[in-house]
Amino acid sequence: MPSRTWGCLLLNSIYDNSEMSWRRRVPLIVAWLAGAASLVGLLFAPALAQLLLGWVSFLAAVTLLLGLLNLLAVHSRRALRGNFYSLVLLAGAVIVLALAVTDSLGLTAGGVATVFQVIQAPLEAALAALLAFLLVFAAMRLWRRRRDLNTYLFLGVVLFLLVASLPLPAAWQAWLEPGRALIQKVTVTAGVRGLLIGVALGAVTISLRLLAGVERPYDSQDSWQT
Amino acid sequence: MAVNTELVVAGVIVGVALLLAWRTRRGAAGARPTLRPLPAYDELTTLAARALEAGRVVVVSVGRAALGRQATPTSVSALTVLRRAALDGCATGTPPAVTVGEATLLPAAQDELRWAFQAVGRAAHFSLAQVEFVAAGQDGLAYAAGVSQTLPREAAASCVVVGRYGPELVLITEAAARAQAELIVGVDEPAALAVAAAASSQPLLAEEMLAAGAYLDGRPSQIASLQTQDVLRWLVALGLMGLALFQLAQG
Repeated sequence: MPSRTWGCLLLNSIYDNSEMSWRRRVPLIVAWLAGAASLVGLLFAPALAQLLLGWVSFLAAVTLLLGLLNLLAVHSRRALRGNFYSLVLLAGAVIVLALAVTDSLGLTAGGVATVFQVIQAPLEAALAALLAFLLVFAAMRLWRRRRDLNTYLFLGVVLFLLVASLPLPAAWQAWLEPGRALIQKVTVTAGVRGLLIGVALGAVTISLRLLAGVERPYDSQDSWQT
Repeated sequence: MAVNTELVVAGVIVGVALLLAWRTRRGAAGARPTLRPLPAYDELTTLAARALEAGRVVVVSVGRAALGRQATPTSVSALTVLRRAALDGCATGTPPAVTVGEATLLPAAQDELRWAFQAVGRAAHFSLAQVEFVAAGQDGLAYAAGVSQTLPREAAASCVVVGRYGPELVLITEAAARAQAELIVGVDEPAALAVAAAASSQPLLAEEMLAAGAYLDGRPSQIASLQTQDVLRWLVALGLMGLALFQLAQG
């Protein structure tokens, strides 16, 4: 028999299945109370919201530690099987961790920052530069795979924008500029805003279900046993 | 008269919650609307069987949006997709290789996989290392590069890429094309949408990805979410048109 307390009345009005075991109900009530407290805090009590966000940040930091342990465990296993890249990754992790410790002890100065500037930043810049070429390859692959109106429109717009971005003579640029402005400032902006409004509405309903405890992980055990 | 913004926001939230609750109750009472077809979700339900036939695995990447921040709904949807892929994969003995690009997603993805193993009675086969943390959230390029290496290493039959990505998504889609892996992409970032549209024949764009629960689980509360979104969309559209007409009339 479902409880008729005020909290459970609300929960039962939202839940698909009003017959809940206590094993499910307790984390649900905690989730619901935490969600309600977050909402009330964000709207009316900033200090409460700040406290809750502090807890979230702490948990996020703990998960980062778990992530590091997972990374080391997975790549240690691969390194033992002879994977050279995993070995490099492990060596990199150990070196950066050691530098972080020596930086904090004052034995070295800016060691971690130097590693990032000298190794990671140039590598990421190189990868980022590759993206443009890969995008052109993806467009070509699309043309080979599917030749319909959408594909021609997509490729036509891509080609037009690429050409319009070239350092062309001023007369040509003046001729192409209105088209480019129309595409970028009107069509693309309108499309992106439409998509973002759709995403925002979807996010609102999912968030409400999360706050009410209707979403995973609270619905996991009982209703999903196969 | 001054308008209290907080009260207005609270009123809107309560209104949407009541609408959602009402729709859910109607759905639970048996009113089932027809959802428009999204082939990517149909395809998703057959991936495990095809991976089994090919003797290969499905790689699932759930993106790099942190739980507890603004993009939480995106990651929740990505985890819903993972749950389905994991359940199908574990049932056929081909559990997916899972990668995450954000630390908070790691325990959540591990829990989904653990639950899937448990659901098919193979809890002993689960290992935490079956979910791989590739890179921290803000490092999109490193994450994409890591996932692109996972595809050939795991001999992926299919690659499911859902969640929050930027233009670096193209690194993963190109790796999938080179590995001749089937590709299902679901993203919500405008910068990644163009890549998804070019790389996948059936992409899940923006709100389509957020509808994962309704399409894959189909519980009344999830379908009620879609119906509520439709109502809200009409209200927003009417509001925008009203504002535009008002501004036009004001000159």
